[in-house]
Amino acid sequence: MADHSTVAEAHHEVDYGPAWKGADKPLKAGYGKLMMWYFLLTDAFTFSGFLISYATLRASSLTWPDSDFVFSTFPGGLHHMPLIFVTLMTFVLIVSSVTMVRAVQEGKRENKNGAAFWLGMTIIGGLTFLGCQAWEWTNLIKNEGMTLFTNPFGKHTTDGVYINEDGSEGEHFAAGANYIVHRHHGQWAPKKYKVLSGPEKGQVKYQAFGPREFGALFFVITGFHGFHVFSGVVILFIIMLNVISGVYVKRRNGYEMVEKVGLYWHFVDLVWVFVFLVFYLL
Amino acid sequence: MEKSTLFVDDEKLLKDKGYDDHFHEHHHDEDPYQSNFITKYIFSMDHKMIAKQFLLTGMFWAIIGAAMSVIFRLQLGFPAESLTWLKPLLGKWIVVNSQGVGHLSTEFYYAMVTMHGTIIVFFVLTAGLSGTFSNLLIPLQIGARDMASPLLNMMSYWFFFLASVVMFISLFVSTGPFSGGWVAYPPLSALPQAMSGSGTGMTLWLISLTLFVVSVLLGGLNYVTTVLNLRTKGMSMWRLPLTIWSFFITAIIGLLSFPVLVAGFLLLMADRSLGTSFYLSEIFINGHALDNVGGSPVLYQHLFWFLGHPEVYIIILPAMGIVSEVMSTHARKPIFGYKAMVISIASIAFLSFLVWAHHMFVSGMNPFIANFFTIFTLIIAVPSAVKVFNWISTLYKGNLTLNTPMLFAIGFVSMFISGGLTGLYLGNSAIDIQMHDTYFVVAHFHIVMGVAAFFGMFAGVYHWFPKMFGRFMNETLGKIHFWGTMLTAYLIFWPMHYMGLAGVPRRYYKFDVFDTFSQFSELNKFITVMAIIAFFVQLVFVTNFFHSMFFGKKVRSKNPWKSTTLEWTTPILPGHGNWPGKLPTVQRWAYDYGKDGFDFIPQIQPKLDGETSAVH
Amino acid sequence: MAHLSYEEAKKAVIRGLIILGAITIIEVIIALLAKGHMIEGFHMNKLLYGFLMAVFSIIKALFILGEFMHLKYESKALRVGLALPFILILWAIIAFVHDGNSYLQRRLDSGNVIPVEMPPVPVLPAHETPAEHGEHVKK
Repeated sequence: MADHSTVAEAHHEVDYGPAWKGADKPLKAGYGKLMMWYFLLTDAFTFSGFLISYATLRASSLTWPDSDFVFSTFPGGLHHMPLIFVTLMTFVLIVSSVTMVRAVQEGKRENKNGAAFWLGMTIIGGLTFLGCQAWEWTNLIKNEGMTLFTNPFGKHTTDGVYINEDGSEGEHFAAGANYIVHRHHGQWAPKKYKVLSGPEKGQVKYQAFGPREFGALFFVITGFHGFHVFSGVVILFIIMLNVISGVYVKRRNGYEMVEKVGLYWHFVDLVWVFVFLVFYLL
Repeated sequence: MEKSTLFVDDEKLLKDKGYDDHFHEHHHDEDPYQSNFITKYIFSMDHKMIAKQFLLTGMFWAIIGAAMSVIFRLQLGFPAESLTWLKPLLGKWIVVNSQGVGHLSTEFYYAMVTMHGTIIVFFVLTAGLSGTFSNLLIPLQIGARDMASPLLNMMSYWFFFLASVVMFISLFVSTGPFSGGWVAYPPLSALPQAMSGSGTGMTLWLISLTLFVVSVLLGGLNYVTTVLNLRTKGMSMWRLPLTIWSFFITAIIGLLSFPVLVAGFLLLMADRSLGTSFYLSEIFINGHALDNVGGSPVLYQHLFWFLGHPEVYIIILPAMGIVSEVMSTHARKPIFGYKAMVISIASIAFLSFLVWAHHMFVSGMNPFIANFFTIFTLIIAVPSAVKVFNWISTLYKGNLTLNTPMLFAIGFVSMFISGGLTGLYLGNSAIDIQMHDTYFVVAHFHIVMGVAAFFGMFAGVYHWFPKMFGRFMNETLGKIHFWGTMLTAYLIFWPMHYMGLAGVPRRYYKFDVFDTFSQFSELNKFITVMAIIAFFVQLVFVTNFFHSMFFGKKVRSKNPWKSTTLEWTTPILPGHGNWPGKLPTVQRWAYDYGKDGFDFIPQIQPKLDGETSAVH
Repeated sequence: MAHLSYEEAKKAVIRGLIILGAITIIEVIIALLAKGHMIEGFHMNKLLYGFLMAVFSIIKALFILGEFMHLKYESKALRVGLALPFILILWAIIAFVHDGNSYLQRRLDSGNVIPVEMPPVPVLPAHETPAEHGEHVKK
């Protein structure tokens, strides 16, 4: 078997076998874009972990305040506008996603000014969303008193009737009715009520706080999402500066960076769809 | 039957059939990757150097982790003896009583147990094993110049390094390192006032592990995209060596499980630092009720084990891949059932995500849903058994070369069987109620994922040492290392099964107040002695490693093991870019050993005249 | 959207905005309807409501993924690879929530109901009455 080298030489046509031609892109995407996709997959799992934790803690709590009762204020001192403000926030985010799509399209056409303009619009959208969130948090913390440790939004588990200061009976309520424990001169001022159903019928009680996990989960999860929006805005800003300075014109893969940051931005919108579902709708 | 050796002129094959990616045209004159000491040895972006960095850091941690186990085994095996002689090392953690007899303080005992687990699981068997060999072998075996993103690869190591520094610092804080078990269950982990290690120690533990997760994710993104996009011509997925398959799937598991741990950790940090009570409810400390109500400690356990169970496969799968490759090479036989191996790795990976709650059967979780977890757990036995069957069939009638890497590969299979069988007991929720938190569990997981994974790692180090340093490790010392480790490992963990069946609980400081366990005091001594011997046998390995690095027998040929895979077509000490000229192209699968009367046919060899057609 | 011309692509963007906006409005309307804000005394079945909301949200998510993130135009392998892991999430949701529910049952069965957190007992000046906030109470 000494002369197998000559045998090997006889085969000049190279048989690569099944299809793989090497340095090809099996998923039709460069490694940078693939990495972004897989990073988003991991991030989606982090958010899933959070939202599943929310569901678990909600399932293990006796009561849980209704979202349409909690989120019913609107800037300008308007009350009784359930879910209207958060719908507005959702729109802001959707619009910023749309402007991002436009930026990517202009990037694909190598239109420097167009890409920069639409990136700018996206940044404005992101900042608007953050502003809305800041107002929502401020309202909840300052005006309504919901913090990481206290949740003034409770839910009655029995029927009952409120007792006024002078001892007379006030408004009736049914089991499952939401209430907010009010503050008076910075002091909690829970109202007195008489229980009208269940084993404790006839007793007089004060309004209790709602499950504190409600507030804590709200701040941690929307905070984590807000952090993503914030970092997205920062990255968008850097990319916009790069676009304006013309870095991408010279690069081999052109405006792929715009596309990648676009993926991240849409992902932030995508997560909001589920945060919106879990916190505000269900 | 005598096999003839095929003469392969790999230089010529590379030149004629190679694929020119014009790599060296971009990198002439000065190589920015290796131009000076700092870019070559410290902030290196070359995957081979990063692999060595992972390996050395892993070894550093392995020595510390093993030494910790020796220290707490001393206390456990010889509760009456004085440990005052350890005072220069451990200082105030040795408590000397009025008779002048020194003992390990109870807090520090728990801290040692906790740190031993954390260090071995995360820093040695995740970073040290998967980090080392994924980095070393993925580009070399798929025929790539380097990882997809060398920069992220470098950052992956340095995040691991930062995590290491933070964890190392936590060993020296005055309140001691974290001591609530490596799983860090609340309330011990969530309340800084719970025990002395729950304060600063736990804070540092959390910071360290968060940095570690970043490292794993950066590494994993790189491994996955590299395997997908950077394979050389002809290297289709079904021609990948099993090492690459296992690293690829390991990386995917890491990418999907660690993020959920991040969510759990962030909630834990909020509980610790912000005063929330996600995991806390109705807790009394020193007779005082805390005002944390409404949380659920079981939620943390779910979140933790959603990572924690896949984590044990992150540890064992790379070892399985390495063992398959080493075993096939040194048995001079193709791996039996290549596709079955790949499919079983993939199905183990998938199932690993469905079974996490079998760690929590007695946590107060719902017994109904525990049934599903039991069923999924027992199904994992099927792909595991397929793998064991394939390894044994690979050995059957093989032309075995019983050198050190091969011995460790065979030892791996032995350990995996012994430890895997007890897993069937523990996976049953009904039996687990009796067995949980006893030494039976300790024996099970130490054998199946501790010792077995270490054996895979050792097989890999002995096998690829020539590729890393251009020298061989000493064979005699290697055999001493293998037999010493094999014997002591079984002598340490085998008796623990009996202790566990008798109900001896794990993590206890001492047993002398329990009459029923006094019968095991001699056995405990025996185990401790064996653990000490095992520790010193590992020092033989460390000595061998560093001595061989500088003075070992030099590698004279490019392919010392007569292996088929691509890394052996590179120069003995490959520079940056791995192949000096063109990239090799792949003509066949990775396991053409003993085919058509030839001892082996490398992957770069085109089809020979008269060769029987291959499936691949 | 490589296969669309520039003008078509621009139109598609506007269409996307309209679709997403419309679904969101429908969601909010159903939410308000289901919770009794639209028709006095009408409440939707909770399971049906949750199912509807989940379906709408998934449609929105798929639309964002498909059109905005161009996943519709990427290779099938990439799509399948990204979709498969969510089977795991599905099982996680079932197991976590089932166990969370069982945790509540245990709390109730043991009679050891979660201690209700009471606000500090109010010390109010006699002339102040907190009753004026009564309108916040919802049936």
